[in-house]
Amino acid sequence: MFNSLLKDTNHRQVLFFCITIILFSFIITLLSDLFSINFISTSFIKTLGKTLCLCVIALSMDVVWGYCGILSLGHFAFFGLGGYMIGMWLMYKRTEIIVLTASISESLPLTPQEISDAIGNQIFGVVGGSEIPLIWAYADNFYFQLAMVILIPGLLAFVFGWLAFRSRVTGVYLSILTQAMTLALSLYLFQNDSGLRGNNGLSGLQNIPGYDDTSQFVISIYFFWASALFLILVFIFFFYLVNSKFGSIITAIRDDETRIRFLGYHVESYKLFVFVLTAVISALAGALYYPQAGIINPAEIAPIASIYLAVWVAIGGRGNLYGAIIGAASVSLISSWFTSGQAPSISLIFYKIEWVNWWTVILGLGFVIVTLISREGIFGFLKSIFIRKV
Amino acid sequence: MNNLLEVKNISVSFDGFKAVNNLSFRIGYNEIKAVIGPNGAGKTTFMDIITGQTKPDNGDVLWTDKQYSLLLLKESEIAQLGVGRKFQKPTIFENKTVLQNLIISQKKIRNPFSVIFQSFNSLDEEKINKILKEINLFEIKSKISGELSHGQKQWLEIGMLLTQEPKLLLVDEPAAGMTTEERQQTVKILKKLSLKKSIIVVEHDMEFIKDLECNVTVLHDGSILSEGTINEVSNDENVIEVYLGR
Repeated sequence: MFNSLLKDTNHRQVLFFCITIILFSFIITLLSDLFSINFISTSFIKTLGKTLCLCVIALSMDVVWGYCGILSLGHFAFFGLGGYMIGMWLMYKRTEIIVLTASISESLPLTPQEISDAIGNQIFGVVGGSEIPLIWAYADNFYFQLAMVILIPGLLAFVFGWLAFRSRVTGVYLSILTQAMTLALSLYLFQNDSGLRGNNGLSGLQNIPGYDDTSQFVISIYFFWASALFLILVFIFFFYLVNSKFGSIITAIRDDETRIRFLGYHVESYKLFVFVLTAVISALAGALYYPQAGIINPAEIAPIASIYLAVWVAIGGRGNLYGAIIGAASVSLISSWFTSGQAPSISLIFYKIEWVNWWTVILGLGFVIVTLISREGIFGFLKSIFIRKV
Repeated sequence: MNNLLEVKNISVSFDGFKAVNNLSFRIGYNEIKAVIGPNGAGKTTFMDIITGQTKPDNGDVLWTDKQYSLLLLKESEIAQLGVGRKFQKPTIFENKTVLQNLIISQKKIRNPFSVIFQSFNSLDEEKINKILKEINLFEIKSKISGELSHGQKQWLEIGMLLTQEPKLLLVDEPAAGMTTEERQQTVKILKKLSLKKSIIVVEHDMEFIKDLECNVTVLHDGSILSEGTINEVSNDENVIEVYLGR
């Protein structure tokens, strides 16, 4: 598989990347509460774990946009759907445990109907219902919901991509369509009768059923490591994919679609393949992200989220896997620093700069400057400096 | 003689303008045919129809003696059947190396699932190396193809057609922008290729066509004005009128 024309230096690059991530994870773990050093708080470990998941979706975005030339502005829809699918299991299972625990003190054992009613009441009381919607029918089955993490976003991507690519929608029109898709999905989920708790979304996802006695700190370390390993796996997979013949073909599609068609390649199936593949990987990243975030609501998949994703990749450097990771990690970490109110406000004589509001301005400026100076983003910039020196 | 490709009474119009008008054409196995004509004669539309980019309003395009119609197929399927096209401007993938360009054009199963698992084995490498030598690019196979000279790019594109192993080659102005020497080399290559393949050459350059020594079809206003050897055609009064002006 993936037989390609890679040189030893390329394999060394991959190894270097894996070692870096693993070392990073070890250092973070060491500095955490694990040995009572307590240098890094649990919430910061969660932030880092989430950032690793964002790096994964940025890799997906880079493959679909930077390599295949499809500027999808809807990949956060798949990310969010993945989160919802795993969130359903987390929330249902946990509520079930709570209901069953509470029922122990009752004199009469509850009937299955009563249990189901109680769960329904707990979960859907907030949107004025108590009945469990049909889409929750198998929410108590972890493997079923895990399959849904892959199947639902995969199916959405497949149907959407099939319709769009078949009619040869390209360029900015396709971007607009993907925005419409994610907007429509988020508006649908905002409705109370969508069966996913409307604008309340799913919450309490940080509590993993069956691990009630485990502290949040330990859970956060588990998820952090899971995210790091997932990032490594996805990186290796994408690295060999884009450097294989398949990668040659998708970059050829990006560069000259008509030409590659005359070489006998069915461009639409390649686009669809890449679109669905990256959507599924985004969804898996989402399924790892939201248990660390603890809550998911429809605002997460608003169109702006996917635009930010494109901005990360553009700033980091598209068409390069490292670029995507640099962009996603740096911008999202800086962003959470600015918007969480940790950045000190600057008092001018007549105006007080509050970073929560001004951060987007900086991000926008940064986007313009980086893309003006270096079309290949931060990574391209670093590379050009490095190569000039050598 | 058996037909490899038969074009039957095709017409196509764009917004009322008849680009191709009731045109019929055939080419047999291992035959070279040249198509010439002034600008707007319908040469490019003719090629577009064969490769599936444009669908004609009437008529049919039949492939081999099995007589199945190319009109029902997609561009990629037509290319997979064995129709290769060389564009007027050299269209290679400039970001890729010479070798990568040849690898993606090499004849192999084209669907994404099998491409992922395809390996580049020594047999493939041997085939490509042979072609690299034929097109004089073997020494620089790892070079980024955007850095090649104009002539080398033309060679590379011909090389890409060769690795595709088509049955029919459509070649659009292969000699454009070439030096006399390169042109003679191109004639040699095309003649050598025609031992195993059928070739349709679209060209302005009469000298080039003369050197190819093949049958010529003259197009004018979307239909055939004259057909025959280059001598017959260039003595045809209609042709003289169209080419030299009235």
